[in-house]
Amino acid sequence: MKRQIPLLIVITLGLLFMAHAFIPHKISQDFYNQWYREWVKAVSPFAALLGIYSLINVHVRKIKRKAHNWQYSIATLLGIIVTAVAGFGWGSESGSPSSWIYENIMMPLCATIFALLAFYIASAAYKAFRARSIEATVLLAAAIIVMLGRVALGAAITHWIPDATKWILTVPNLAAKRGIALGVGLGMTATSLKIILGIERTYLGGGD
Amino acid sequence: MSWFEKLQNLDRRYIYIVVALCIIIPFTFTFHTNTYTTEPVENIYQLIDSYAGREDRAILLSIEHDPSTSPELQPMEIAIVRHCFERGVKVFFLTFRITASPIIDYVINTTKEEFADIQSGVDYVNFGYKPAALYLPIILGMGDDIAEAVETDSEGRKLNNLEIMKGIKNYNEMNLVVEFSGSSYGFGWITYARSRFGANVAAGITAVMAADTYPYIQSGQLVGVLGGLKGAAEYEKLVDLFAVNQLEFSKEQEKQTFPRINNDDILYKFKTARIGMNAQNVAHVMIIVFILIGNIGYFLERRRKNKQGEGS
Repeated sequence: MKRQIPLLIVITLGLLFMAHAFIPHKISQDFYNQWYREWVKAVSPFAALLGIYSLINVHVRKIKRKAHNWQYSIATLLGIIVTAVAGFGWGSESGSPSSWIYENIMMPLCATIFALLAFYIASAAYKAFRARSIEATVLLAAAIIVMLGRVALGAAITHWIPDATKWILTVPNLAAKRGIALGVGLGMTATSLKIILGIERTYLGGGD
Repeated sequence: MSWFEKLQNLDRRYIYIVVALCIIIPFTFTFHTNTYTTEPVENIYQLIDSYAGREDRAILLSIEHDPSTSPELQPMEIAIVRHCFERGVKVFFLTFRITASPIIDYVINTTKEEFADIQSGVDYVNFGYKPAALYLPIILGMGDDIAEAVETDSEGRKLNNLEIMKGIKNYNEMNLVVEFSGSSYGFGWITYARSRFGANVAAGITAVMAADTYPYIQSGQLVGVLGGLKGAAEYEKLVDLFAVNQLEFSKEQEKQTFPRINNDDILYKFKTARIGMNAQNVAHVMIIVFILIGNIGYFLERRRKNKQGEGS
């Protein structure tokens, strides 16, 4: 029963949503508008609670066992507690403790981490971007053209550079991206069908 | 160790110093560079501009990013909001990310400072943060009735009571959604709002994500894309050139005119992307130079080893 009931819920709802998507009948529209939309509002807070419980559980166990890098778990738990107290206690309006945390901790941390990317890209470009093969040479030439074509200098040298950039992005890049997207789409469809039909059951846990 | 080997094994700290200088100096000493606009940006501009002064048209800005990507995405958000305020286009804001909620406030307040007559609930409304669990119900629900799907704005006001909602029911009226994100490109809006209700969808994304969007631009699923700082700089230019002067878009005029950014004619906050593009200009050239030096060193070193091999 522990596995059959969740499986039954997934199969039933999966088929109902397929019907809703492909059959524009009043019954299928009502199923969505009057039933699903209200249910999801009621269910989602429980999902959030489950997530918070799971996060706390994982980190508390890590601290208890003194697992590798357990000190970071203390920072995580403190972050959850302080932010939650600030949010529940004083709201998130401008000037509140929650807003202070956002502006003085969250923003600088996010900006710093993302800004490091420029240094790593420049270093990696210098150390690793070598024309070792024909493929690598093509990649290198394309990268240089696109990098120049995206800034004012490229257009200042010759209009061929922005034109070549446009061609690279709208022809070979587009073809490759579309091929990947089609592959991913087909994979998603196949996996979804396998889940709806009960063939794929690993989400139930324990492996099958 | 030969000179080439030294070049190959250059301490990365020197590279970091050069990168830092290449970015800091153009920000400190602003110089003028010409910004040329591209079709994906012009398409968004023209569509928004076609809604100017219309009671029965609005756009939705779905802001879905953290502060980490704000330097790239915030200038484009400010540019679009400025365009809407200049031309009297109704604009809605929404986010499914709690960390983006203060960004919306910042974008609105930064732009609004220069527009004394703009009022919340009349010219714009912030739907605020909605939990990600309601992503699908809200996107699909807005296809029937926006006021019913969203219910209240960020200040807790019922949408039905707001003046801005007069003449706005669903995607037929709120006919453009622009999603700003560092990791997506309006995929949810394309899948549900575009395919099912025919809403126009556009994306404002980081430069690294821009290449992913071209198949969707070609298929028409995205009406346009603002790609990274360059996209923002292009939009800033269009607003300065046409919206501020209450002019219609003209490609000929765009090609020939370049508003100066190295004087005080334009407020700093309305040209941050173009100033940022100066830094990007220098940084790109620097990376290209690094790549070339690295490769020259690699080939010279390889030739030297080949010669040594032949000699021994």
